[in-house]
Amino acid sequence: MTDDTELAARLRRLTGVAALPADALPFDYDGLLARQDARVGRAQRNRRVARATAGALVIAFVAASVWRLEPREIAAPVVEAPAADSAVDQPRLVRADTYLAVAALEEHIARVDDALNVARVVSPHGAEVARLERARNELLDSYAQVRYAELVSANF
Amino acid sequence: MQRLAEIEISTEELAAARGGDAAARRILFDRVAPATLGLIRRIVRQPALAEDLLHDTLIAMFEHLAEFRGEAPFGAWVRRIAVSRCLMAFRSPWHRARITLDAWTESGAVGPVESDARDADLIDLDRALATLSPIARTVVWLYDVEGWSHDEIAQAFDRTVSFSKSQLARGHARLRERLQAPLIAMETQT
Repeated sequence: MTDDTELAARLRRLTGVAALPADALPFDYDGLLARQDARVGRAQRNRRVARATAGALVIAFVAASVWRLEPREIAAPVVEAPAADSAVDQPRLVRADTYLAVAALEEHIARVDDALNVARVVSPHGAEVARLERARNELLDSYAQVRYAELVSANF
Repeated sequence: MQRLAEIEISTEELAAARGGDAAARRILFDRVAPATLGLIRRIVRQPALAEDLLHDTLIAMFEHLAEFRGEAPFGAWVRRIAVSRCLMAFRSPWHRARITLDAWTESGAVGPVESDARDADLIDLDRALATLSPIARTVVWLYDVEGWSHDEIAQAFDRTVSFSKSQLARGHARLRERLQAPLIAMETQT
């Protein structure tokens, strides 16, 4: 018997202790369902937050762009205008950090990729694969919008 | 306890589980979960990560029950899903960071799987196996114990057959080295 086959035979003996007794399971069937419900709830919350953040950012950046591009009326010279009034005419920019939105979207896309990999292993042409691909495309669209908004804001 | 790849499920049980019968699904869970956890714990040593992967595997199993064609034993199908989930965890940067963090924070969590093994040889072997890198350990386990071919391993890892062979050779060399170390230490003491 060669060293390798002897080693393999010894390793195979470990299978007897590889399977753990049922009471060592970290959760039972009901526990699995409860964990899955909690996970789905968390994912839905994250998705809602990511979408809302992305939407708000896009609206804020587009509004800011439109506001900046509007032709300014030539104001009549104001003599000795109070300081408080002149402050009103100052351009106002709202800067919001896109880091959280981008990170949340990237995290979500990664999770969908994982699910897609499993679905492709199980059934390469199943309905689940098509559904996940659609979800991934939607997320990529949101991601592209946020990135575009970042690009627009970079001009200010 | 039965090995995962040998677990067979009757057509009636499978049909009931596919139909959403809670009792049938519970039976399915009880049949495959312990062996699935055993396999995952051989590949992934961190208990918390293994627990998450068990969850992922079983949920994927229930979600895709309708797609099981019965060409291989049911357990072999579940095993493929479990191995696929473990390999995805190795590839994911998020999980890699988690493995590193767990290794720092959970003292002893990366040690051997808890078992009722009384055989000193098995305990030594289990400890030696735990010292291998996750990739080498997976290749050794899949080839030597689960009976996968180099082609199948290469496909699962999305790498070449040479990768599988070299990982196996390195894994064996490391195991032999670790198993001989205690003997050498005992001889020098005497």
